[in-house]
Amino acid sequence: MSSASIISVKNLGKTYTVPEREAGVKAAVVSLFHRTMREIHAVRDVSFEIAPGEIVGFLGPNGAGKTTTLKMLSGLLHPTSGEASVLGFTPWERDRAYLAQMTLIMGQRNQLQWDIPVIDSYQLFKAIFRISDDDYKRRLDELIEWLDLQELINKPARNLSLGERMKCEIAGSLLHQPKVLFLDEPTIGLDVSMQRKIREFVAEYNARTGAAVMLTSHYMADIEALCQRVIVIHHGTLLYDGDLPGLVSRFSPHKTIAVEFSEPVTTISDKYGELVSTTESRWEIRVPKARTAVVASALLADLPIDDLTISEPPIEEVIEHVFATGDGA
Amino acid sequence: MHAFTVIRTYLRLGLLNFVQYRADFFLGVVNAAIQFAIQLLAISIVFNQTDSLKGWSRADLIVLVGVHAIVSGILGTVFSPSIGAFLESIRLGTFDFLLTKPVDAQLLASVQSVAPQSLTSLLAGIVIIVYGLQTGSGFPGFGSVVIFVGLLIAGLMMVYSFMMVLASLAFWFVKLDNIMNIFNTMFGNAGTWPITIFPGWLRVTLTFIIPIAFAVTIPAQALIGSLTLANALLTAALAVLFVAASRWFWLFAVKHYTGASA
Repeated sequence: MSSASIISVKNLGKTYTVPEREAGVKAAVVSLFHRTMREIHAVRDVSFEIAPGEIVGFLGPNGAGKTTTLKMLSGLLHPTSGEASVLGFTPWERDRAYLAQMTLIMGQRNQLQWDIPVIDSYQLFKAIFRISDDDYKRRLDELIEWLDLQELINKPARNLSLGERMKCEIAGSLLHQPKVLFLDEPTIGLDVSMQRKIREFVAEYNARTGAAVMLTSHYMADIEALCQRVIVIHHGTLLYDGDLPGLVSRFSPHKTIAVEFSEPVTTISDKYGELVSTTESRWEIRVPKARTAVVASALLADLPIDDLTISEPPIEEVIEHVFATGDGA
Repeated sequence: MHAFTVIRTYLRLGLLNFVQYRADFFLGVVNAAIQFAIQLLAISIVFNQTDSLKGWSRADLIVLVGVHAIVSGILGTVFSPSIGAFLESIRLGTFDFLLTKPVDAQLLASVQSVAPQSLTSLLAGIVIIVYGLQTGSGFPGFGSVVIFVGLLIAGLMMVYSFMMVLASLAFWFVKLDNIMNIFNTMFGNAGTWPITIFPGWLRVTLTFIIPIAFAVTIPAQALIGSLTLANALLTAALAVLFVAASRWFWLFAVKHYTGASA
């Protein structure tokens, strides 16, 4: 466990035992008395380290084990195997000193009290986290300014739009100025401009306080804008840990070669690779990564080429490919 | 102490937001009035036939109704709404937020929601007790009132603990709203009669399994002068036992929740 890490996860595993039953009334009645149990390996042998100030994107399809991992790191679940240390604490021991320095924000669930003004919910957080009057006032003013909350905090949470409520949730979850943030799909269901606003705010908070952030999102724009590093898990296993361009080059089996011709080419040949689009003046060809150089030089030799570019496929496509094939390799 | 600061903040917010509940408050007053009228009517019907119900006079029973109103008022102001909110949070998954706070989760679950309109029941209870004492045996001495308050707190702790044990079952069964309805029906109906008038088996159930006797009958006995030392001591001892048992069960349930569920 390196001392430079703020989060350190070693061989973490979580297995659920869940009742299994077939559809239908009969099966339901049977399951009341006799339940068949099945083991689900939600997380298997996952290890990584995160340094203070890092923003790490945590990627995986639904059911990959992202939320289970975040829940273990925020102390809500005991792992079946392995160990973890966050800020020097074992999360699931739920030491108060640990809980006072971290926050968990879930885009799909809110913790503001529904019927009372947002500012009153903040008063509760102030009491719960023992925030001094001065700190509270200063941080609240900052958060109001950064997130543009002035008009919102005196309204009951139920009167806010989804995006407004999320902004208020985030501000409330940061009043105690946590050093570690676990964000589980914080932008889910929000419109594009609200997503951008939240993204910018997370970056700003990270830059100002040096807090470490672990973020899951299904929106690649969030990940691309915020995360220098991504961790990909699938079927509970760690597939990749590194920067975003590295993910693309490692997992994309194809590259796209685009060529522009100096004179019209009318004879179309698919011997170079899969033709994505062809016109008289331009072709786009998808080729296996290993053959990129060979195909490129063949194209240059055979055809009247004016310009040739080789590009990686878009990140979404790569991710989709990784998740669809399972092992990604 | 930090716990008190947290409790105070919740209570203060509940009261500050009184305006939000204004219509509900007046409905609460009407509801309480109807309830008390029916209870007092039932008592007067009984006492048209007899002068004493297993040793309880008409005035004694009015005091008992008052004590019951105080207990339901306190339960309804803090514990019932909070436990309701807790059950809801288990179902919605927002209980996770309570568990990630650096405060005891049982404390947060027990005081997280306040319904000030139930205070009407508390106030009505005091008025009814005063009326009952006036028409009956007269006012008790200061010492008896202190004992009454002590027993009331002990009884409340028992009922609260019992409710927490029922609510903790939600960690396994997720949707359990009806279990609170059963409790409320038992407490709301059986609780307004002295425990001594029920047949043996029901008395045992209501006393030891659902601690209605200790929350209502025994404190009332302190006011009307029929309390025995043995019952007072038993109440105190059982209060400690109930609180300890519910605490143990809560910790066990949370451990189950963090150990097994998703």
